[in-house]
Amino acid sequence: MSGQRYQQLLADLRADYRPQREWGEGRGVLLVVGHFLVGIAGGTWLLSWWFGITAGLMTAVLLGGLGGLGHLAFLGRPERAFKMVRHWRTSWISRGFVGLTLFLAGGCLHLAFELAAPGGLAALIAGLAALAGTLTIIGYMGFTYTASKGVPFWNSPLHPVLYIAYAVRGGVAMLLVLAAFGHASGAALMPLWLVVTGLVALLFALELQGAAAGSDVAARRSVHDILAGRLAAIFYGGTLAIGLGVPLALGAAGGNYPVIMALVGLTSAAGDFFMKLSTVRAGVYRPLIVPRQRHRG
Amino acid sequence: MRLGMVIDLRRCIGCYGCQLSCKAEHGTPPGVFFARVLKSEEGRYPTVRHLFLPVLCNHCDDAPCVEVCPTEASHYAEHGIVDIDQDKCVGCRACMMACPYGNRYFNGERRDYYPGAGPTVYETARTLRHPEGVVMKCNFCRDRLAEGKLPACVANCASTARYFGDLDDPNSQVSTLIKERGGFTLHPEAGTGPNVYYLPP
Repeated sequence: MSGQRYQQLLADLRADYRPQREWGEGRGVLLVVGHFLVGIAGGTWLLSWWFGITAGLMTAVLLGGLGGLGHLAFLGRPERAFKMVRHWRTSWISRGFVGLTLFLAGGCLHLAFELAAPGGLAALIAGLAALAGTLTIIGYMGFTYTASKGVPFWNSPLHPVLYIAYAVRGGVAMLLVLAAFGHASGAALMPLWLVVTGLVALLFALELQGAAAGSDVAARRSVHDILAGRLAAIFYGGTLAIGLGVPLALGAAGGNYPVIMALVGLTSAAGDFFMKLSTVRAGVYRPLIVPRQRHRG
Repeated sequence: MRLGMVIDLRRCIGCYGCQLSCKAEHGTPPGVFFARVLKSEEGRYPTVRHLFLPVLCNHCDDAPCVEVCPTEASHYAEHGIVDIDQDKCVGCRACMMACPYGNRYFNGERRDYYPGAGPTVYETARTLRHPEGVVMKCNFCRDRLAEGKLPACVANCASTARYFGDLDDPNSQVSTLIKERGGFTLHPEAGTGPNVYYLPP
């Protein structure tokens, strides 16, 4: 622990609202990267499976593998990661580990069987295993946050739905990038991106409104941090400008051009990353002593 | 038997004896406080008073940290004590996010108490035994309990503000104090069933 981090920890322990820094700062960014990549991987696999895009399936497995490496690099003891299968009955992290393993193994086998003997039963079974893994990984992240009772802002029941919506938006974004290279049809993707983006924006707005209007002071502080505090630059610059404003402007300018589609996909994905980063960093621990009102005069 | 602690906020003088004795007992690394004291002010000048709130792991009956732990490293030990098996912990820190009391610490990397001077003899003997990359917390001094002693923070409380005993025994000192003085827990709305009670100041 560097001297600066130590001083930061001591200052946090004295603060009225103690921000969580383990997930989202320092090496904790790797966890956000892992969640981001695994979410996109799940969405890409789901949509590629639906539309029958082999390049999308390959991309999904690659992103899932990178996301898994991000998760491992975040752990304090990555060499013990295999032990995470033990507590799947109650732990969403354990379920996510099992789901990602299933997704990667099933995905690789499905692609191998499809390349060797297309349309075979083995490929179908492996594909279904990967699909089961996909459904787990796009869901587990939101539930992991919701189960975090120490951070009231994440306790919203909307959080898992929001993360599933992020995954679908990430999948559409990745298919837009692939469409630019001729691996998918871009015509149907832009309207789909608009619909899913509208859903994500609505869910996020509802979550913020719910936290801001609720009675929990820590959740309200988190909303303040996102909208007008230490995370406002990431939220307004990254999430809204890069992730929403730029793709909308590009789409309006010419959404059917390959380069434009690729840019829409990349900026949309970048916006999702910033949204996840700001949401995670906004986490504030439940205070043990409710800070008193500051009196004036 | 369900072990629990009662802290009398009327008796606590905010001397940090519990925090220091815990550090001495466990040899925790810099930045790790199994027991700590929060301070706050109440009222407006000139009618102001200082409040001290000693906090530690609440050893909950329905501990969310145990529920979210993917490796079963966080577990229920004997008599309801919640402990961490450091050989199983992967350092995912989900338990830190799940704890409504913020009483878990991640021992990320080694840091000496005197940076640049290397570890002291004390640190070599005590602090360095704690593995890195895992989460740490209070375990009600299980080693001391096994020897028939009280937890260090209880034994060393200068104003005898801390009591320790069996919450399942209605005639124990802790149960009697909770009943007679209106003992309360922190964040009961979290539904975790804490076993650390406070007596009002």
